[in-house]
Amino acid sequence: MSTKVKGVFAHLDCLMTGIDRLQRAGFEDLGVAAPLPRHEIEEALFKGRPSPVRWWTLIGGATGACLGFTIASLTGIDWPMAVVGGKPIVGVPPNVVITFESMVLLGGLVTLAGMFFHCRLPGNDTDEELCDARFTDDHFGLVVRGAPGAKGAEAAEILRGAGAIEVSGASTSAPQSPPPAASDPNSSVEG
Amino acid sequence: MSQMTYGKITADILRPIFKLSGLWGAALALSLCGVALGGYCWAVQLEQGMGVGGFNPPVMWGLYITTFVFWIGIGHAGTLISAILFLFRARWRTGVYRASEAMTIFAVMTAGLFPILHAGRCWYAYWLFPYPNQRELWPNFKSPLVWDVFAISTYVTISAVFFFIGLIPDIASMRDKHDGIIRKIYGALALGWRGTAKQWYHYMAAYGFFAALATPLVVSVHSVVSWDFAMADTPGWHSTIFPPYFVAGAIFSGCAMVLTLLIPMRSLFKWEEYLTMWHFERLAQLCLLTGGILTYAYGIEYFVAWYSDNPYEWGTFYYRPTGDYAWAFWTMVTCNCIIPLVWWSKKIRTNLKWLFVVSLFINVGMWFERFNIIATSLAHMFDPASWSYYLPSRIEMGILTGSFGWFMMWFLLFSKLMPQVAIAEVKEGVRPPLKSDEEAA
Repeated sequence: MSTKVKGVFAHLDCLMTGIDRLQRAGFEDLGVAAPLPRHEIEEALFKGRPSPVRWWTLIGGATGACLGFTIASLTGIDWPMAVVGGKPIVGVPPNVVITFESMVLLGGLVTLAGMFFHCRLPGNDTDEELCDARFTDDHFGLVVRGAPGAKGAEAAEILRGAGAIEVSGASTSAPQSPPPAASDPNSSVEG
Repeated sequence: MSQMTYGKITADILRPIFKLSGLWGAALALSLCGVALGGYCWAVQLEQGMGVGGFNPPVMWGLYITTFVFWIGIGHAGTLISAILFLFRARWRTGVYRASEAMTIFAVMTAGLFPILHAGRCWYAYWLFPYPNQRELWPNFKSPLVWDVFAISTYVTISAVFFFIGLIPDIASMRDKHDGIIRKIYGALALGWRGTAKQWYHYMAAYGFFAALATPLVVSVHSVVSWDFAMADTPGWHSTIFPPYFVAGAIFSGCAMVLTLLIPMRSLFKWEEYLTMWHFERLAQLCLLTGGILTYAYGIEYFVAWYSDNPYEWGTFYYRPTGDYAWAFWTMVTCNCIIPLVWWSKKIRTNLKWLFVVSLFINVGMWFERFNIIATSLAHMFDPASWSYYLPSRIEMGILTGSFGWFMMWFLLFSKLMPQVAIAEVKEGVRPPLKSDEEAA
């Protein structure tokens, strides 16, 4: 028995209506695919929580800066030439460039690793239902997970009611849905 | 843009890919001829030695370092447009940033050849990297040449990562529009991207951090390149204004190169809806701003030389416009300070032909700027007995031609393999498909 229900949307406002109605009906485990990033989708699903990628950047950048300064300093200490003018063997200004470049390099590479980790890239372990060529072109996909039996039928009905052009995966046939809602007053979509 | 739909954007931007035209083929053939000429000249230099490169004391930095700085400068506009303008939410970057980033990567790849060429024995090029020698002594990390290795390696790495990250969603679009082996190749390159909300959520966060990291990097890299000169006590180089002067010059030349590349591409790919006059005008305005800073820097250099009362400094600056290299100096001033002024006229800066022609002049002028800085200062240093006159040899000119062929070859190949305009970002700029709109209509 399928526990996932998929809806395909041609319109963003219908998708947002679908997400909103599903969440109100108690469906929390939703997956969305879109051909572009949209703030309203992010806000609806992640409720303004910042991505943990920022910690990867911070840790990578801080590690890079420490490593850069340490390497530049140790190479000076390793061969302590007495420079004319009494300049210190380990000085801050001449080490700033190496410190900065190392910070950016490691910060960037660790951010990349963090993004790959959280996006599960490279890989293909996302919902099979969201693997649809239309979602990188001009359609939106919405998957309801953990919806067996009657719950699946209810989710399918909500998706149809919201304006999905195609609904699949429901284990029981849903009753004929009402005409699609053009725009739900509870959902806000800006152009 | 208001008439655009997501489907049309995907189709329009992917249309030119794999479609080879006669003009494109001719341009690629010309580029390959340039590469062949450059390769031949390099082979001659390897066989006969650096003497064929026209180097004679005291001018040991000649065309190769000039061209190295030129290409590094060209490589600045891409990351400027993609990172800094992203942070400033400048909407006009959307149409031009992909091609600019590609230009950055290929320009830095081209620049990277020149230290190897300049080193002579290219099989020892790894000596350029800072690592301990046989006596376990490290190179001097207080040297700007070591900083340069760090700066350029970091720049090319971060720019390449930023470029590739931006491409992932568009490569996924390519994958989904094809079958067979093409689908497999682009599928592998897309790394399994599906455009899920979770992926976009982390992707956009990472993209913002890349932009934040790349922004100071753009400023730092050409500052570090300028310190290769400014840290030396050579007259004409030893100046604190070099970093901002070099950064402004790099952005100026980079934006001009973006214009040079995108104007023909617009006609070739029929992308009038995506690369509009609005985009080109913004680039021209950015050139006007940075060109103004550059002209001011040229003037201030003279003031500093005069006010310092240093006879060597003033001697060099007097020599530049009046001595043996006056032709190079006045070419630089004409191309960088005078000709771009025509863009103050809106009528001219919104005319594609004028934009293209002036951008070519800027490219020429910016190469001469670097030549003017390097050759004149080295040829006219402290001791009059050592003064000389350096001119690039035919071998060097062949390698210079080869570098343009090398750059264009990569750019042309890229233009037929990857989307030259960011599909997802263009979609962000248009009104999304709304049921309410359809009903209202």
